Parts: sequence; C-alpha cells; structure tokens
Amino acid sequence: MATATITLSSDIQSDNLAFTKDKILYKAGTEQPLDQTTGLNKIIFTATTNIVLLDSSAAGVGKAAKVYIANKSTDASEYVVITINAQVVGRLYAGDWMFIPWSQSDAAGNIELAPSVATALPVEYMTIHEGLTPVSA
Amino acid sequence: MATTIASLNITSTDLLSDSLSLTAIATLTNAGSATGVTQTTGLARKKSEATSLYILYDRSALSMPAASAHKIYIKNLSTTAAEFVTITIAGEELGRLYAGDWCFFPWSAHDDANDISITPSVSSALTIEHMLFFES
Repeated sequence: MATATITLSSDIQSDNLAFTKDKILYKAGTEQPLDQTTGLNKIIFTATTNIVLLDSSAAGVGKAAKVYIANKSTDASEYVVITINAQVVGRLYAGDWMFIPWSQSDAAGNIELAPSVATALPVEYMTIHEGLTPVSA
Repeated sequence: MATTIASLNITSTDLLSDSLSLTAIATLTNAGSATGVTQTTGLARKKSEATSLYILYDRSALSMPAASAHKIYIKNLSTTAAEFVTITIAGEELGRLYAGDWCFFPWSAHDDANDISITPSVSSALTIEHMLFFES
C-alpha cells in the first residue's frame, strides 16, 4: 500500500499554521489499497507545446487514481500550465508540486501540460491507480 | 517575508519491488518570484447535508490576480469509505476525494467562471476542510 502525507506550515497569519495529514491510498469506495502505478516519470521538456501527460482511460473512469506532478525547474519564472479536458487548473512554478484525485470523467479527461519555456524544463510525475485500459497495437 | 511551506511524502514498501519514498517540498511564492504568498482564507470547514453543488471558492468574489500561483488544499473528513466529494473546476471534473483523501493543487483563477466546487456523494452529513493561499 502507498501512503501520501502532506505537511503545511505558514506564518502568514498571527496564529501560525502547522499540520500534517496522511492517508493510505485506497481503491474507490473501499479499504483495498491502490496496487498499480506508472512509476515516477521524469521528462525534460524542450518545447512549449501543450502535451498529453496522462491519457484518460476507460478503466479509470470514476475511480480513485491519484496524480503527482512537480515542476523541478529552479528558475522562479518558469512554470507549466496544467489542464484537464481543456480546462486550465493552474500553473506550477519552479519547485511547486500538486497531488490530486483523477476520476477520468470521460475519454477527454486527459491531464495536459504546457511548459512556459523551451529551454530544458524538468517535470516529474506519477500516477497511482487501480487500472488502465491497454492501448491496442 | 511570510513563509509557507507545503511538503509531500509518498511512501510504500510493497507497491513496487523497490521501496517508494518520494519527497517534494515547495515554498509557496508569488508567480515568477521568490516573494512568499501573503494571503490565505485560513483553514475552513464545510458541512454538507445534500448532494448539491457547493462553490468552495467563488472566483468572482475574490480579489486576486488571474494566472498566478494560488494554491488550494481540500480534505474529505468522512470516515465512511464509500463517501466522496467530486471536485470540479469551472464545471470540469477533476476527481473524487474519498473518505480521508486530501488534495493540493494550483489554481489559475483565470476568469470569473473558474470557481472551485464540490459535490458530495451523500445527503447525510459530510464534512470537508479546505484552505486557499493566494497572492494579491
């Protein structure tokens, strides 16, 4: 089984924020652990083209897949735009990461990524899931 | 300067034959700069008792720049495995947060329709926690 833990701390407010939450990653509606993963991928992007990072799969519709994406650039001005089915989610700037559920609501529910620069921008990503539909040869 | 740090650890000893131990640490800054974000909604709770669509963050009601480095945290506090909330951005489904699941993601807030909403799966009491960090 896999466990995802977030720790958030901040001194923005006069009452400082500090908490940690962890969660075993289960299959949808069960307490059976997610047992499949794409593994940790790393790609160095050299174009600003919008690409399909994760292709929605019929086997994943309505499931409890989790997606991790991190912009590993160290240049503060560099970002990647994350999109789902043409809807912009947000920008991951250098060092930022995201961890989201991905229910692959339909065949168009791909997760796409567009780098802001064409000069070697590294991105890491991984999906932990409960099934993908194999693509026929 | 305000300092906000979001850390992620993903661990597993049996998902793969090689143990997984991934750590990512982000200092939340304004878009394209090293200046820390300075505003937050604070950690909030919302209790739902219907399967209606609830707007958590109403873009048109928030004074914030578009296409910036805002971040959102949401956690489903239910302890019943079957209960989930569906998270949508401007009507597009992101995913389902099942009992105990949490998520953390950037929010572009690029136009007034770009609301962050949830739809609970049950009409019984279901509580979530949520928080927004944003720049001015």
